[in-house]
Amino acid sequence: MSLKPENVDFNEIWSRLRSTIDSVIVLSKVERKEWSERFSDVYKLCVAFPEPLCDRLYAETKAFLNEHVIVLNKAITAQDSATGEDNLLVDYHKQWLVYRDGVNYLNKLYWYLNQQHIKKQKFSDADLSYGCVEVSEQKLEIWELGLHIWRKNMIEPLRDNLIRLLLAAIENDRLGKSTNETVVQGVILSFVNVEEYKKKGSLDLYQEIFEKPFLEATGEYYRKEAEMLLQNSDCSEYMERVLSRLSAENVRSRKYLHPSSFPKVTSECETRMIAEHLQFLHSECKPMVLNNRRKDLQNMYKLLKPVEGGLPVLVKEVQDHITRIGLQAVCNLEGDGVPQAFVENILKVHKDNSNLIREVFSNDQLFIGALDKACATVINHRTVSKQPCKSPELLARYCDSLLKKSTKGMNESEIEERLSQSITVFKYIDDKDVFQKFYAKMLAKRLIHTQSVSMDLEESMINKLKQACGHEFTSKLHRMFTDIKVSEDLNNSFNAYCKDMKVELGGINFNIFVLQAGAWPLAQGAISSFAIPQPLEKCVTNFETFYNSKFNGRKLTFIHHLSMSEVKLCYCKRTYIVTMGTFHMAILLLFESVNSLTYKEIEENTKIADDQLIKHLNSLVESKLLLTSLAESAQVTPETNYSLNLNFVNKRSKFKITTVVQKEVQQQQEVEQTHASVDEDRKLYLQAAIVRIMKARKVIKHNSLMQQVIHQAKNRFTPSVTMIKKCIEALMEKQYLERTPNTTDEYSYVA
Amino acid sequence: MKVKIKSWRGVAVWKWIANDDNCGICRNGFDGCCPDCKMPGDECPLVWGQCSHCFHIHCIMKWLNSQNVHQLCPMCRQEWKFKE
Repeated sequence: MSLKPENVDFNEIWSRLRSTIDSVIVLSKVERKEWSERFSDVYKLCVAFPEPLCDRLYAETKAFLNEHVIVLNKAITAQDSATGEDNLLVDYHKQWLVYRDGVNYLNKLYWYLNQQHIKKQKFSDADLSYGCVEVSEQKLEIWELGLHIWRKNMIEPLRDNLIRLLLAAIENDRLGKSTNETVVQGVILSFVNVEEYKKKGSLDLYQEIFEKPFLEATGEYYRKEAEMLLQNSDCSEYMERVLSRLSAENVRSRKYLHPSSFPKVTSECETRMIAEHLQFLHSECKPMVLNNRRKDLQNMYKLLKPVEGGLPVLVKEVQDHITRIGLQAVCNLEGDGVPQAFVENILKVHKDNSNLIREVFSNDQLFIGALDKACATVINHRTVSKQPCKSPELLARYCDSLLKKSTKGMNESEIEERLSQSITVFKYIDDKDVFQKFYAKMLAKRLIHTQSVSMDLEESMINKLKQACGHEFTSKLHRMFTDIKVSEDLNNSFNAYCKDMKVELGGINFNIFVLQAGAWPLAQGAISSFAIPQPLEKCVTNFETFYNSKFNGRKLTFIHHLSMSEVKLCYCKRTYIVTMGTFHMAILLLFESVNSLTYKEIEENTKIADDQLIKHLNSLVESKLLLTSLAESAQVTPETNYSLNLNFVNKRSKFKITTVVQKEVQQQQEVEQTHASVDEDRKLYLQAAIVRIMKARKVIKHNSLMQQVIHQAKNRFTPSVTMIKKCIEALMEKQYLERTPNTTDEYSYVA
Repeated sequence: MKVKIKSWRGVAVWKWIANDDNCGICRNGFDGCCPDCKMPGDECPLVWGQCSHCFHIHCIMKWLNSQNVHQLCPMCRQEWKFKE
């Protein structure tokens, strides 16, 4: 065969070609030889001399396909009207499968025409996307042409009937009647396939002729379905059924439709069955939450989640509910174990609801947020609105009770776990600085009186707080902690020093805590004057000498009311070893040479301030070490007599005189003092924050300053607006800032 | 002896002995620390000059390093020498 262009007779070749494509299009058998020859025929026509006959070939082929499809269409319609409509879908589908393959083969036969002629005149993507050309002018590759013709001569004439039958078939499927799935799906997808060659809008036909009416029909179906369900079932049943309808419809979509339709169908169903009945569903949320109907809540969550505006009502109900039971759990607590009950009740509420949210609401962020808000409300709730919130104090007391030695029957890991849980509560506290103050006070007591159950636990708790609230928050606690550790070393080196210098301390086993003045929350006012008993003088002077030789420029002040001693009582029938405060000891030492003293004598010798002295005398009397002439609850006078109880008996040979237990009034005072000192700290903190902001901004509007200050303080406490205003005024007085001249609400920084 | 002391655990606090409450350079209290430090204590000690003036060590070192010719006490303008 020659590849050279030659003069050809179109009609002759076309008639050969035509009879072959007749067979190809209906997938009849075509001999290989015949196929090859026709292939060259196409080539010959395309390269024909003197004029290439491509255009003519294209036009004739187009006419052929047109006619072929029209004939098919007629055949289908005729058969249809003869046998009733039932077979339209089946017939259409059968013809479509044959035609689709036929066109594909035909396309291969026309390979040369496609490649050399049609592709060359195709518009580029750029032309198409800028839309400056008319697409319909363009010649199509043969398979494209075939599909185009199918659409025009087959789908469009049959469109109404096809769609009606398809919708009916799917409705049957919904009703549980059998349908020919392959056919229905094939027909539906033929609307997609027939346009597949288009670069743009290849789904247009499918969407327009099928998807749109289908969605409408679906919507209508489920609207009725929902109404029917609502009449026949309560909310739980309704939700169950809707969920099962939704999942069935989902499966159905996958069975019949193009993937682009899946979400549309789901959303249509959700609109009809959920969104349109939101009010009803929302009204059911409250009882479900109240009665903790988990299964229902889970269904409700599944239903409401995909619908716009669905969840907030449920979230709100859950939040309100948690708040309500939380408040119930922590209000009206009374008796001894209030801190424990408070923390443990809150933790229980928190845990129960975290579980609920995990199991029922798949840990949805909205619900976690609701839990957080509810817990914050409960924890920061003020029983009396004028008074500061009690929670920070209670939490600090809870930690204290865990870390104090008295805790019985708990091993370290249990305590550790409870401490970790208390951090959960801590995170919700607004007034973290109040907690810090209380915690620091209690920590100081534990450390100084060596009451801590374990130093490791103390340290790990401080680290937990640091993690939750930052380095600055715990720096004071850390310093207290280090002071105690440094003191240990100090005692060791002092002992070594005593050995080296041959210093004798009078047989007293001496050790000391040396604390940094600023770091410890020690009430400065409470320090009383005190005449150091002679036996202790050696300890004090020697240690001071040692300390001054070791550290330059430091002044040491002993705080005697915090120091403790162990004393051996030798005047009774048995000897007793008693742990007591230094003031107690000083009082007892006075009785060395006498058995009886007046208050005045005791006071002159010890120089302890009145209130402290009375307290300590009272506790000695209570423990029966001293006897007094004073009637109970009478006022002490300088002449009141105290005498040593020489007949003292105690079952134990080792015991402890506790410093007088704080009376409730005093405790209340201490709490108030703590709150007052927190307020002082807050003012300083706010002033510092204001200066920092002003330094950076130079000029700032009042409102924006407020916002930034609140933002900075948020981590420690929620400042009141009045307090910020007062701080601004104070700073203006100190000339750190001034009102910008000629404005009412702007400040500028005075460098 | 009627009463014998077996052991005694004292508690004491320490403060810097300074002739002023505040550092003359940074104006922070000697209770506190210099502006570059986070917390007062051993990491931010005080130093005394022979002229008896006292500063945070970090403050006076910064000052001395910024002086090119004579190293003077910022308070009394005498030559700065550390007190032994």
